[in-house]
Amino acid sequence: MPVSSSVSPDGKEVTVHVSGRFDFAAQNEFRDAYHGVKAEDGVRFVVDLSRASYMDSSALGMLLMMREYLGGDSADITLSHCSEEITNILNVANFQSLFKIA
Amino acid sequence: MSTPTLTVLVADDDTTNRLLLEAILEQEGYGVIHAEDGREAVEAFAQYHPDLVLMDVRMPEMDGYEATRQIKALSGDTFVPVIFLTANSDLESMVRSIDSGGDDFLPKPYNRIQLQTRINALMRIRELYNTVHSQRDELRQHQKRLERERQLAKRLFNNIVHTDVLDRPNIRYRLSPMSLFSGDILLAAAKPSGGLHLLLGDFTGHGLAAATGALPVSSIFYGMTAKGYAIAEIVAEINARLLTILPVDMFLAACVVDLDASSQTLSVWNGGMPPFLIYDAERRQVRQRVASTHLPLGIVADEKFESRVEMATLRSGDRLFFCSDGVLETPGPQGERFGNARFDALFAEELPAEDLFDELLHRLQTFQADTRQLDDVTLVEVVYDQQLLELGDATLAAEGGRGGRADIPPTSWALDFVLEADMLRHVDPLPPLIQTLVDLQGFRGRRQQLYTIFSELYSNALEHGLLGLDSSLKDQPNGFARYYQQRDQRLSALAEGEIRIHLRHRPEAGGGCLQIRVEDTGSGFDTERVLPSLSDNLGKAGRGIQLLRSLCEQVHFTDNGNGVEVHYRWG
Repeated sequence: MPVSSSVSPDGKEVTVHVSGRFDFAAQNEFRDAYHGVKAEDGVRFVVDLSRASYMDSSALGMLLMMREYLGGDSADITLSHCSEEITNILNVANFQSLFKIA
Repeated sequence: MSTPTLTVLVADDDTTNRLLLEAILEQEGYGVIHAEDGREAVEAFAQYHPDLVLMDVRMPEMDGYEATRQIKALSGDTFVPVIFLTANSDLESMVRSIDSGGDDFLPKPYNRIQLQTRINALMRIRELYNTVHSQRDELRQHQKRLERERQLAKRLFNNIVHTDVLDRPNIRYRLSPMSLFSGDILLAAAKPSGGLHLLLGDFTGHGLAAATGALPVSSIFYGMTAKGYAIAEIVAEINARLLTILPVDMFLAACVVDLDASSQTLSVWNGGMPPFLIYDAERRQVRQRVASTHLPLGIVADEKFESRVEMATLRSGDRLFFCSDGVLETPGPQGERFGNARFDALFAEELPAEDLFDELLHRLQTFQADTRQLDDVTLVEVVYDQQLLELGDATLAAEGGRGGRADIPPTSWALDFVLEADMLRHVDPLPPLIQTLVDLQGFRGRRQQLYTIFSELYSNALEHGLLGLDSSLKDQPNGFARYYQQRDQRLSALAEGEIRIHLRHRPEAGGGCLQIRVEDTGSGFDTERVLPSLSDNLGKAGRGIQLLRSLCEQVHFTDNGNGVEVHYRWG
C-alpha cells in the first residue's frame, strides 16, 4: 500500500508514510491516513517521504489540504527524509515557510 | 424468448431444403423471405432488410460466399448475422465461409434445436452489438458537442487572456499544448509609463478548473497594469483573489516581471516557478538568476504574503528566459527527467543568445527521444530592447479608456491632495489618483497621457525634492540600479516632508484644461541654474522635462524648483 500511517507509543506523534509516486493517484489514501487520526493538542505530524520516488504539484496541494485540516498555521507538520529531488520541489514552492522540512 | 417480428432470409436453390427450413422458422414465429440463388439473395436483402440470413454455399448465378460478401457490404454499420448451411464440415469451406463474412454454420441435415440455439446466440450478439453501437453514436455526439463547446470556450478564453503585446517581435514563446486549456498562463501588458509587465503562471492541474482560475488573474493583471500599479501590488491583489476562489489544494505558481524602459531596470517576483534568467548577449553568460523566493499565489493570507521583488539592471540585447516546470520535468525514455543540471549546462555553453531558445527546444525533443510532442512545456524569451518597450499599445489605450466614462462633459472642479511622509513610504498614490480623475472627468481615454504627466511630476517632487537624489548618477555605469537602490533606501527612511498636488479643471470649447501644480517641502533646486541645462539635456535625466513640454502647454517652475505648474489641454 503506497500510503500508511503509524502512531508513536506515547501517542504524541503520527507518521504518514508515502511510498512510490506521490501524485494525484494517492489523493484518497493520503487523506484517509490523517483523517482517521484525532488531532489532539500537541500531536505532531510527520510525513515520511523516504520511500517516495517522485512528487508533483498535486502532491503539494494535498500537503496544503492536510495542513488546513490539522489547523492551518497551528498545525505541526514535518516533512521528513526528502530526497534531493523532492527537497528541490519543496524549496521552489517555498514550502519551508509552511512545513518543517527535515 | 423468441421475438416474432424477426425476419429471416433463406437462400437455397434446393426447394426441399428451403421448405423444410421455412417450416421450422415459421413455427418458431419468424417471418421468412426466400431466395433461390445468390443474386436473388442480395436483391432480397437490399429490399427487405432481414435480421438474419441462412445461406447455402453452392447456388447458381452467384455462390453463397460472394452473396455473403455483398450482403455484408450492404449491411454497413448494422450487424446482420449470416449462417452458412453446409452439407459437410470440411475445413476449407469453413474457412472460406468465415473469410467471406459468415458468422456461423448449420450442418445438414437440419435440426430444430440446433437452428434455434444458433439463432438465439447470434441474436444476443446482435443485441450487444446494437447497444454498443448506439452508445458509440451517442458518445460521438456528446464528444462532438463538447468539442464545439471547448473550441468556442477556447476562443473566448484566448481573446480574454491574450493581448497583442505577445506578438511583438522581441517576444517569443511556446505554450504548453498539453490540454486545450493548459494549466500554464502567459500574460503580457504594456505599462502606461513605458515598459512591460509579464506574468508566466502554472496552476496546479490543468483543464477547465485552471482556465477558470486564469480569468480573474488576467483581469487583475491587465486592469492594474493599465492603471499604473507596480507588480508588488498586482501580485498581492492576485494572491488575495485566488485565496478566496481557489480550493485549498489549488494554487498558482507564478513569475511576474516588470521591465521598465525609463529606468532600464527589471523587477521580478518569483513564487514557485523555475529560475528566471537574464542572459548577457555580449558575454554569452547568465548574468542573473532569480530563483523562487516566495510561496505560490493563493496559499497564504495578506498578512503573511510577501510581495518583495528582486531588481536587476538591463543592457540592450539582454535576453530574459522564463519557463514552466514542465521543461525541467520533461521525461526521458527511462523515466528520468531533463532536470536542472541539463538546463543549467545549456546556458553555460557560451552559445549565441539568439540560438538558446531553439537549442533548448531541440534538446528537450532529443532528450525525450521519441516523436511525441513536447507535452507540458512553456518557454518564453524576451529580448530587452528599449525602443520596443517604449512603444505605445493599442490594448493599453483600450484598457485605459474603459476605466472612465467617455461621455462626461467637461466640467469645473478643483481637488487638492496633501501626501505626507508616512503615506509616501507605504503607498504609490498615482494609480488611485489617476483613477479618481478618470472617474470624475473621463478625459476620453487619455489615461496614458495623464499617467505620464503625473508620473514625471510626482517622481520629480519625490526623488529630487524630498529624497535629494542626484540624476547624474544615472549616467554612470550601473547607475540606474544604484539610483533606484538609493531611492528605496531613502524612501523607507523618510520621516518628514509633504507633496501637495493642486488640481483645477475648467471646460473649454470641445474639451477642457487641467492645471496641475505639484509642490514639495524639500530643499529644491535653483531653477535659474538648472533649467537651461535640463531643457537642453536630451539624456536620461532631463527627458522627463522634455516629455512634459511635449504633452503640456505650459511648464513653470516656481519657488526654487519646489513647485511645478503645468497646463494640460484635452479635447
